[in-house]
Amino acid sequence: MSETINYTEAFEELQIIVNELEKAEVSIDELSEKVKRAAVLIKICKSKLIATEEDVNEILKNLNSEIAS
Amino acid sequence: MSEIINDRKVFSLREVSLSIQKTISERYQSSYWIKTEINKLNYYPHSGHCYPDLLEKEGSTILAQFRANLWKSDYQKINSKFIKILKEPLKDGISVLLCAYIQYDQVHGLSLRIIDIDPFFSLGELEKEKQNSIIKLKEEGIFNNNKLLKFPFLPKRIAIISVETSKGFSDFKKVIDSNPWNYKFFYMLFPSLLQGEKSVESIVNQLNNIKKLLPHFDAVAIIRGGGGEVGLSSYNNYQLAKEIALFPIPIISGIGHSTNETVSEMVSFYNAITPTELADFLIQKFHNFSIPLKNAEDRIIEISNRMLTSENQNFENLIKQFKFSYSYMLKGGYENINLLTVNIAKSSKNKFQQEKSKILQIYENLKRLCINYQNINIMKLLSIEKNIDLLNPENILKRGYSILLKNGKLINKTSEISEYDIITNIVADGEIISKVKKIKKNTGE
Repeated sequence: MSETINYTEAFEELQIIVNELEKAEVSIDELSEKVKRAAVLIKICKSKLIATEEDVNEILKNLNSEIAS
Repeated sequence: MSEIINDRKVFSLREVSLSIQKTISERYQSSYWIKTEINKLNYYPHSGHCYPDLLEKEGSTILAQFRANLWKSDYQKINSKFIKILKEPLKDGISVLLCAYIQYDQVHGLSLRIIDIDPFFSLGELEKEKQNSIIKLKEEGIFNNNKLLKFPFLPKRIAIISVETSKGFSDFKKVIDSNPWNYKFFYMLFPSLLQGEKSVESIVNQLNNIKKLLPHFDAVAIIRGGGGEVGLSSYNNYQLAKEIALFPIPIISGIGHSTNETVSEMVSFYNAITPTELADFLIQKFHNFSIPLKNAEDRIIEISNRMLTSENQNFENLIKQFKFSYSYMLKGGYENINLLTVNIAKSSKNKFQQEKSKILQIYENLKRLCINYQNINIMKLLSIEKNIDLLNPENILKRGYSILLKNGKLINKTSEISEYDIITNIVADGEIISKVKKIKKNTGE
């Protein structure tokens, strides 16, 4: 997934879509677009729950350069 | 005994020290309760004895300083009382109320021989230190700083201050790594001493390291466990508590004990008490994210399906309506067309009739005109015929006129003939041939 949206944003956007749907603010023309977007957001959020992004070695490298500097 | 040397009364060192010893033992016969600070305990594990360095300070000024002895058996007795009551061993830097004999040794000099230390006094002092830390942090207005931070939505990346081999850390890892929901956390250990006086410096040092790597972490967890309840007073240390309170990301603690909460735990964003509970707290945060996510997913599916179903229904209704209207219109259309056909036929016929009669009329008129015209012409012809008859030379000749010819050529001018010419006159019933005698031309013409 190329999107760099963070999970807070993804989750908030998802909530907005749900709200719009709840309040029937989405027309049938937009529905497919919205649902597609929601699916992407859900996927992002879910992947956040189960993915690891940090690398200890990278962090240590940072720390060492920090100390050296 | 003293001897006289050169008129001087001279004592040996031993005599002096004996005298001091005697004086002191006579003067200070009982033991005394003394309030002091143990600057250095100076415990020698090999012998089991301690040689504490006692101090009384006012601010940074030393008002009094004394050496003391604490023999192995006394030390063991006192230390176990401390651990039981204070949850702390005897250590450097604590205020104590001790019971000691003042003694003078000829070799080691003046010292206090400690026979007892009141753990309750020290407990009160520790409590005082704790209260002081709290008061100071509150006065500085930073007591709640860490608590007021916004906790990350998903605390995925945790910097852990703990000991690699500690039971607390392994309890934490067990819960985090084997959570049945497959939530993935990233955690990195920043090893540190977690109890005793050195722990303050060690923890603060690691907090500073984490501060340098702040973008990589969502929260810091201080995890201790398996170390019993001894040695926690360092968590009441003002400096440590201040570092925690002012730390830029949330600090959660799982120090694992059942006595009163320490100041460090109080100022932490969240105190989970045990490392296991701390891990559960983090997992709960994931649930808090995951459950609404699932709900959102379910809601979207439900609402979309409902919308699609209702739209399909609308569409079907529309088709039905359309079919109905269409067939109705079609029927109406047929009727109209039939009517139109009849009308067209009728009006065409009329039109034909009209046109036909017009044409007939024109024809009649034309015919009449033709007849008239023919009649006129006939009359004209008759009249012309009559005129032509009149003009016929035969008729003219009959009326007495004659035609004059000369050599067969018609003569109508006097100039055309000469005297003695032979001329021919044609009359009605023949010709007269004559010779010209005289030509008389009319004058005045």
